[in-house]
Amino acid sequence: MKDPYEILGLERTASPDEIRKAYRRLAKKLHPDLNPGDKSAEDRFKDVSAANALLSDPEKRRQFDAGEIDASGAERAQQRYYKDYAGRAGGGTQYENPSGFADFDRGDDIFAELFRQQAERARRAPGMDQHYRLTIDLLDAVNGASKRLTLPHGGSIDVTIPPGVQEGQTLRLRGKGAPSAGEGPAGDALVEITIAPHKVFERRGDDIHLELPVTLGEAALGGRVKAPTPSGLVLVTVPKGSNTGAVLRLKGKGAPRRGGGHGDAFVRLKIMLPDKPNAELEAFLAEWKPGSDYDPRREMAT
Amino acid sequence: MIISKVDFMVRAELDQQTLEIWLQEEWLVPQQAEPEPAFSEADLARAHLIRELKQDLGVNDEGVGVVLNLLDQVHSLRRAMAMLLDSSRAGGPNDGEPK
Repeated sequence: MKDPYEILGLERTASPDEIRKAYRRLAKKLHPDLNPGDKSAEDRFKDVSAANALLSDPEKRRQFDAGEIDASGAERAQQRYYKDYAGRAGGGTQYENPSGFADFDRGDDIFAELFRQQAERARRAPGMDQHYRLTIDLLDAVNGASKRLTLPHGGSIDVTIPPGVQEGQTLRLRGKGAPSAGEGPAGDALVEITIAPHKVFERRGDDIHLELPVTLGEAALGGRVKAPTPSGLVLVTVPKGSNTGAVLRLKGKGAPRRGGGHGDAFVRLKIMLPDKPNAELEAFLAEWKPGSDYDPRREMAT
Repeated sequence: MIISKVDFMVRAELDQQTLEIWLQEEWLVPQQAEPEPAFSEADLARAHLIRELKQDLGVNDEGVGVVLNLLDQVHSLRRAMAMLLDSSRAGGPNDGEPK
């Protein structure tokens, strides 16, 4: 977002009164309800009202001036303007006032006929779609789940999360939006999915990446260890002599793919010493002579 | 969606007295008035508009009525225009549903 002072055409030293006046001047020109056909006015008004919201709040303005928050801040919920109802094709409101063109109608009933048809269409028009946002766990996103979405003004809808849903994907729930004003079907609910980060798994596309701690012994001697995956624990064979950073691929243990199959899970090994110092291990290492070719830093030679 | 008077006052951030005045002035005309007014989402958006006119744009009470009256005419005209364009594209007023 652009600088809020620039948007309102103000100096950084502007007084609260100057901010209020600048906002009022621009709002009179750009308010979407006063420009029902002008999309660019609506876009500019969004910037102007966001700039005003930031600068008219002394605390937020102080934080912005101090560089503690950036100009975008938190986005306000999308506001429905009156024009979105009054200007709707198919719909209209009880406030309509056709006196503005009553004198056009020279005896032929073209407007009366058009309005009659329009009213009939409005009666059968579906309700509006409603937009929601839902944050789910990564595991629910991978495995699918059923969630209840509580609506801002009471009530709730059940959302079935399909396995493998992606960040930002929108689920359409038919008939769960606003009811029709007349006798048409209800609109749809559109639910945008956000996936919360998981402390073990990281998802990249359809694949899952995780880090698996192993003991020094498991890494050096090899062995079978249990590794978590989104679908549960699986036994993984750690090859003898595996090092930190070695990646094991578990085929088909990732997230479901669109159109069938699954991604893979990638397990990155991480060798962990015992939590507490171990006298035996220390004694062994003190005596141990690995030879001169054991130099993990040889690639770093300067 | 029908909104009760109480819900409407909460969502429009209006007190009882202000709402009574707005109804009296016919700035808001709910489709159902008796026994209790029942409001629509469009009424709610209109109430927000009235509040913005008064608070943000500095329109006084006399002006609000004038603005609303003109806006209502603008919307009727816009819709009549849209219908005319639709019907002329579709080849006449009896040519069935527009898309």
